[in-house]
Amino acid sequence: MSAPALSELRALYVHIPFCERKCEYCDFASIAGKRAETVYTQALLAEIRMLGQRFPGVTLETVFFGGGTPSFIEPALLAGVLDEVRSVFSIAPGAEVTLEANPSSTSRERAEQWLGAGFNRVSLGVQSLEADVLRFLGRVHEARRAVDAVGEVREAGFGSVNCDLIYAVPRLGDARWRRTVQRVVAAAPDHVSCYELTVEPGTPLHVAVARGDVTPVSGSRALRQHRIAIDELAAAGYAQYEVSNFARPGAECRHNLVYWTGGYYLGAGVGAHGHVPAAAAPALAAPADETAVAIRYWHGRGIAAYVRAVEANLLPLQGTEVISAATREYERLMLGLRLRDGVSITEPRVRQAADALLRRGLLEAAPGSRLRTTARGEAVLNQVALLLTEELAA
Amino acid sequence: MPQDLIRNFSIIAHIDHGKSTLADRLLEATETVAPRDMQDQVLDQLDLEREAQAVRMSYRGHDGRTYELNLIDTPGHVDFSYEVSRSLAACEGALLVVDASQGVEAQTLANVYQAIEHNLEIIPVINKIDLPAADPELVRREIAEMIGLPGDGAILTSARQGIGIDEVLDAVARRVPPPRGDASAPLRALIFDAKYDAYRGVVVYVRLFDGGLRPGMRVRMMASGREFVVDEVGIFSPAMIPIDELACGEVGYLIASIKNVRDSKVGDTVTDAARPTRHALPGYRAATPMVFAGIFPVDTDSVEDLKESLARLNLNDASLVYEPESSVALGFGFRCGFLGLLHLEIVQERLEREFGLSLITTAPTVEYRVRLRSGETVAVDNPDMLPDPSHIEAIEEPRTKATIIVPNAYVGTIMELCQERRGEFISMEYQPGDRMQLAYDLPLGEIIHDFYDQLKSRSRGYASLDYEIAGFRAEALVKLDILVGGQRVDALSMIVHRDRAREQGRRLAERLRKLIPRQLFEVPIQAAIGGKIVARETVSAMRKDVLAKCYGGDVTRKRKLLEKQREGKRRMKRVGNIDIPQEAFMAVLKLDEP
Repeated sequence: MSAPALSELRALYVHIPFCERKCEYCDFASIAGKRAETVYTQALLAEIRMLGQRFPGVTLETVFFGGGTPSFIEPALLAGVLDEVRSVFSIAPGAEVTLEANPSSTSRERAEQWLGAGFNRVSLGVQSLEADVLRFLGRVHEARRAVDAVGEVREAGFGSVNCDLIYAVPRLGDARWRRTVQRVVAAAPDHVSCYELTVEPGTPLHVAVARGDVTPVSGSRALRQHRIAIDELAAAGYAQYEVSNFARPGAECRHNLVYWTGGYYLGAGVGAHGHVPAAAAPALAAPADETAVAIRYWHGRGIAAYVRAVEANLLPLQGTEVISAATREYERLMLGLRLRDGVSITEPRVRQAADALLRRGLLEAAPGSRLRTTARGEAVLNQVALLLTEELAA
Repeated sequence: MPQDLIRNFSIIAHIDHGKSTLADRLLEATETVAPRDMQDQVLDQLDLEREAQAVRMSYRGHDGRTYELNLIDTPGHVDFSYEVSRSLAACEGALLVVDASQGVEAQTLANVYQAIEHNLEIIPVINKIDLPAADPELVRREIAEMIGLPGDGAILTSARQGIGIDEVLDAVARRVPPPRGDASAPLRALIFDAKYDAYRGVVVYVRLFDGGLRPGMRVRMMASGREFVVDEVGIFSPAMIPIDELACGEVGYLIASIKNVRDSKVGDTVTDAARPTRHALPGYRAATPMVFAGIFPVDTDSVEDLKESLARLNLNDASLVYEPESSVALGFGFRCGFLGLLHLEIVQERLEREFGLSLITTAPTVEYRVRLRSGETVAVDNPDMLPDPSHIEAIEEPRTKATIIVPNAYVGTIMELCQERRGEFISMEYQPGDRMQLAYDLPLGEIIHDFYDQLKSRSRGYASLDYEIAGFRAEALVKLDILVGGQRVDALSMIVHRDRAREQGRRLAERLRKLIPRQLFEVPIQAAIGGKIVARETVSAMRKDVLAKCYGGDVTRKRKLLEKQREGKRRMKRVGNIDIPQEAFMAVLKLDEP
């Protein structure tokens, strides 16, 4: 295991699967209720220790507690997990330490406890400020609560706050969506994520659509609402730096940027994914061949199986994948195209495909001899990515 | 078995009139198959509609004598009318099965006429008399008036309920004449079917007209001239059972290490090479393909696989012809000739299902005769190969004489359909049961383009069709080209009548607009005749295709989603920089659909 490679490992994701209730559209690893919170966090501590043994000397620049709803469990348990992270790895000064929170489990007191535990960024699942939309999505909070939550985490002293929003919801018209964005801007978060509602297999929403009870909004309305978000947020000083993400200068989510720029990260907890240098394959007991430049691994979603595995002193891996240089290049293009900074393209055949897209006005030049999508290209980003990666996929 | 106790017969019936069920009951009643072994419909075990089969039954007649009944099944589709004629030629009698609630259909009629030509004893059977809608008396009148057979002699049955089965067997024994033929004369056996078996070579289905056939004999196929030593002879009961000898008048199979069905063509005569007959059995003709289409692999790397698969199919299907073809749009593939549309579909399905190929089949076409100004005549089975109009004196198209039987209520709409398809009215005859028998002179090229489906849908399924080829005729035909994204797509060209060219171009362009998915940019679709654009449609550019979320580190899944999308695109054919789905190349077949 070579030290230089591991020094690139600077991010950790921790998954907390508990929620007050499961949202209609959610396909993340989550479970309603928190009866297992103590057992689970004990197991989480054990996994983090295991990861620490296998990946020694790692200094984390970003830590992200996602879910589920991390804010839903006892703040003391969250503090315990973050303490363990701090003692097993080291957390760099100035690191970004994010906690995902729902407005319904946010309060001034809890926010103070989170801050005290070492979190310095809160990502709030606001989703909407329209009562009927919140109901449709199966969210437990009221619109008022979401706005209040932003204030509470601010007052508690958080310097960095994100609000997640969802658009392209049936019966959410363009005007109401614009108003939602404006009201969120008025609450002055540092970062806003606007995600299109997608119908994922296995969700109640998927069932409703399949039954014909719900008609998904048209692609053109979704696109219109995406552009409304871009316009409203730009006017308020939030730059779009990724397809669905907007930030005030300097407030970009560093953890998510690790994913989008092909960086390495460890993942702990059910359903978590990790991406580590190939040199770390033995640490995961993952098969790796000479083509491997990196390994991606992921955990299963079941809590009981996770706890059992960890108690048996095993890493609860469900799968691993060898990332070859070609796959890495593929992912670099696929993910890099999502970024405003764009992506550099030097490989001659890919460059040729890119030139055709430049001519058609789907790509444009970005600083640093990079290429990025135009507004029109962004709308058909999958197609652009398919064309650019054609040679790599063959 | 004394020759006078042998009865060779077949069953003529329209599809769904109960042929298979009746055959099953006959096999049960003669204890050829025990009821508990009776899988549903022995005769239909092979799902391909052209398979003929032969089963031997032993029947104890009312006169106390035991008869050998050989039932020869006939393929049920107009594409295989030649095969039907050979099966009928192998028999002395036929059961004409008519559904008591449906009446006589056009194809049945055509087959009955063939049976009458072969001097077969025809025993009418009115089946499904248990159905509430059954009208046996009307069907009796139809049989008398449409076919000219005494309707009184018809046997009433319900194969499903086992009614009338013994009457049928008794009638076969009493009314079908025994085979004539000279057991001591040189061997003459008619090949009425042949199948390729991977382990045993070709299994040849034969009916002996003169002489006998034993293992060890050296036989000659008279049309092909090839000779083989017989390894085994036997009968179907219904499984293959080897026997010592097939005697004069009998039906069975021979196996002789024959590697290719081409060496045992349906209709050919098998004779003894040591003591050959001087007179082959009449009626042999080589199967001629009537319908042509290009078959191309979606993945250009699979051309060799396609070639090998066609060769394998050809082992069992001598009527399939193919030769290499190359298309600017579709790359390398094969121009294939088929007996008809169903044959094309069977071949296509087998290539995809049995050989796992992903294929693009171009719209079927007929073979045109093109007379050139130079005095030369060329056959054109690929619209793209039509010579430059300035060199053409005339284009002749194959015509058919089509017979359509249709209830009076639909006569108007069916006549309209025939007009639309450039049909020329020949005659119209009233038939019992408020039905009309229409005769039309129709271009074959029109019949193969969705005519049958239209006929069925415009008559709510009641009209039936039969046709026979009736020569060539010069018509004002032109080539219609299709341009996608400004580029001519050779595989989409078609030959149409000048008067209908504009309309067909418009419909084809419209159809293609619906079939070609949105691309990154606008795609114009144009129809052109001789360089002049006659229709234009536009596939508007794709507006949105983007994954909203990409967080949580599950990059693998995102990549797989993108790859899945790529798979979808790969099933299409990229022409220039436009992805065209497989169905688009068959779009011309569905021009009449709304």
